Amino acid sequence: MRSPRPSLVPAALGCLLLLTGCGGGGFSDSEGSQAGQSEGGQVTVRMLVNITPNLTQAYWDGLVKPFEQANPGIDVKVEAPTGKGVADTLPQQLAAGNAPDVVETLMADETLAKQMLDLSDQPWAKDTPLAQEAALGGRIYTVGVGVQAQSLVFYNKSAFDKAGIDKPPATFEELEAAMGKLKAAGWLPLQTGGDFLTGLQLLQLTNPSRAQQYPTWHQDIKAGKLKAGESMLPYLERYQTWIDKGYVDKNALGLKYADAETAFLSGKSAMYVMGSWFTAAESKAEKDFEIGVFPAPVAKGQQYPGPQGATMAAPYMILKSTPNKDAAVKLVQWLVTDPEAVKSQLKQDGNFRTGVEREFTPLERQVQEILDAAPSGVPQGEGYGDATLPKGFGAAWNTEIQGLYVGKSPKEVAEGVDRWVDGRS
Amino acid sequence: MTLTREAPPVVTKPPGPPKRRPRDGWANAIMVAPATVLYVVMLIVPVALALYLSLTDWDGFSANPAFVGAANYVDLLDDPELRRAALVTLLVAVAGTAGLNLLGLGFAVLVNGASRANTFFRIVLFYPHVLSALVVGFLWSAILGTNGAVNNLVTRWGGEVLPFLSDPTWATITMIAVLVWAGFGVNVVLYLAGLQAVPHSLVEAARIDGATRWQVFRNVTLPALGPSVTVNIVLSLVTLLKTYDLVVSLTAGGPAGQTQTVAYLILWNSFHDARLGFGSAQSVLLMLVTGALAFVVTKLRRRGELAVHQ
Repeated sequence: MRSPRPSLVPAALGCLLLLTGCGGGGFSDSEGSQAGQSEGGQVTVRMLVNITPNLTQAYWDGLVKPFEQANPGIDVKVEAPTGKGVADTLPQQLAAGNAPDVVETLMADETLAKQMLDLSDQPWAKDTPLAQEAALGGRIYTVGVGVQAQSLVFYNKSAFDKAGIDKPPATFEELEAAMGKLKAAGWLPLQTGGDFLTGLQLLQLTNPSRAQQYPTWHQDIKAGKLKAGESMLPYLERYQTWIDKGYVDKNALGLKYADAETAFLSGKSAMYVMGSWFTAAESKAEKDFEIGVFPAPVAKGQQYPGPQGATMAAPYMILKSTPNKDAAVKLVQWLVTDPEAVKSQLKQDGNFRTGVEREFTPLERQVQEILDAAPSGVPQGEGYGDATLPKGFGAAWNTEIQGLYVGKSPKEVAEGVDRWVDGRS
Repeated sequence: MTLTREAPPVVTKPPGPPKRRPRDGWANAIMVAPATVLYVVMLIVPVALALYLSLTDWDGFSANPAFVGAANYVDLLDDPELRRAALVTLLVAVAGTAGLNLLGLGFAVLVNGASRANTFFRIVLFYPHVLSALVVGFLWSAILGTNGAVNNLVTRWGGEVLPFLSDPTWATITMIAVLVWAGFGVNVVLYLAGLQAVPHSLVEAARIDGATRWQVFRNVTLPALGPSVTVNIVLSLVTLLKTYDLVVSLTAGGPAGQTQTVAYLILWNSFHDARLGFGSAQSVLLMLVTGALAFVVTKLRRRGELAVHQ
């Protein structure tokens, strides 16, 4: 008897080809976005956004409401990531031929830029914060609402007083002296944690000093003129001594980001290196001590304050495939230039923009002053625009830095970082 | 004399297979079609796509991924992260399978009888499996983290912080323990089903022959549970080889990447590092290894079961 099975094979292959063709939005240049014009001439713009404790779905929906009211023909559909975050969700949507029109959070790099609309011809784009710095080959793909200051050290004023520290440290030597005093006074001097925090904090802390020693650090590494790990070795050696002396908790890797933040806000530690968005959490926290902030210290002999680590706050990009280009451009322009929309976003996530006055908490006021006093901004982490390191550098750096806590030497860590960069170059 | 001839026996042709009418073929095809379409869409297409992508340099965004042949597979051989993750995954799979099955069988024996208390305990034992692995991870990190409930108690009593999640060895053991805690309820249920299928007459006969409880369990119950053991081991092994969500929520692959599993690395490489081609090659490798291991374990178990029966 003839088996019926072989007859199924062509059918299966047919289905496979059909489905691969249908589902492969990422493989075709077709304008396949699902967003489009609904009945009655109403345009729906789909915007994929990051959802965080500060930026909730309800916040985003409320944010775009005035825009929808002012533009009755445009309906904005705010979409939360279906994956772990926007970075995971966008490729999935592209592959499914279901890309949004606007994406928030990500910044254009050489990979993403190919899918994004060039906004260089938009007169308003070049005046948005860090737009020029984040440009790729002179083209603007990403525009943002404000700036996040990265190289900030928040400190517990009461702990500093009790330890007899009368002024915030300006150099690493002064920082170490302060940590010694804090330790002696019974405090955990520097709060860190596991997750992505370990590597992030070390980059944030060293930005101002490193930027003075290597002003084009990202570009030089990208061009193969400089080794990332090797150039950071002195900082790694210094950090190792902090672990050895107990200036950071040797069990810090067992803390999540939120745990570390809570520990500092509940007075368990004296200093916490973090970006300006921490001010949003600080303003909501109930505590019986005051928190101050100072710019990250620099090496002896360097200018203080040094260049401030800076990233774009709430970056937006428009996908090239959007069938609603005009509506999407209009929306993004409104999000990054409308005074009320800008103020709302800055306040919601603790971000800053020169020239935009909003209601500041005392800590936010200090951060604004630090930003104003910084001689320049310096890319943080993987960087942005032409100063972008290979994708995944931040995570690889973090993994290697954590090695210092589990027995690796600073030299081994530096070599691990360089091996990773070499493998991705 | 009259010769009588016996009539030759009537030879009737044995009934052959009923003649297939064309209409039957169509009916069969229509009935099989939904299952076939589901199978193709849910299994064949993703596997074929993964295979195809593994031969490209797709970053997840570009319109035209370049065909790179076996380059991704060559890179796999030289990837220290994958080697480390493979070792962690193997350790998790082997130790976890042992833990899941020992606990599963042990508790199944304990709650095997029909009573209200046993029903209650069965629900309690199965409950962790109902929780999302992400919830389980966050829950246990709140209990075992450096500032977690356990360490708060330990330090309050004057002890040193226990590095459940901050030391590589401790973190790996913690992860396996939590995986076992979250998963052994399923094994209990499967073993219970097996235990209830053990012929009561065999147990009765052994008892009449004077066998102790342990002897009954060792020589009657356990051999009769052979197929259940095979199913449990294979299911546990395959599930643990794909461990991902608990890593995300409990250790985030740390400390220092020491608890990254292969599945975690695949997702990380694919989406975070935008190397979907490379991630697909890792997935294909994981699929082959999982399939091979499941096949070997099933074969070995079947051989063992046959030996017992003989």
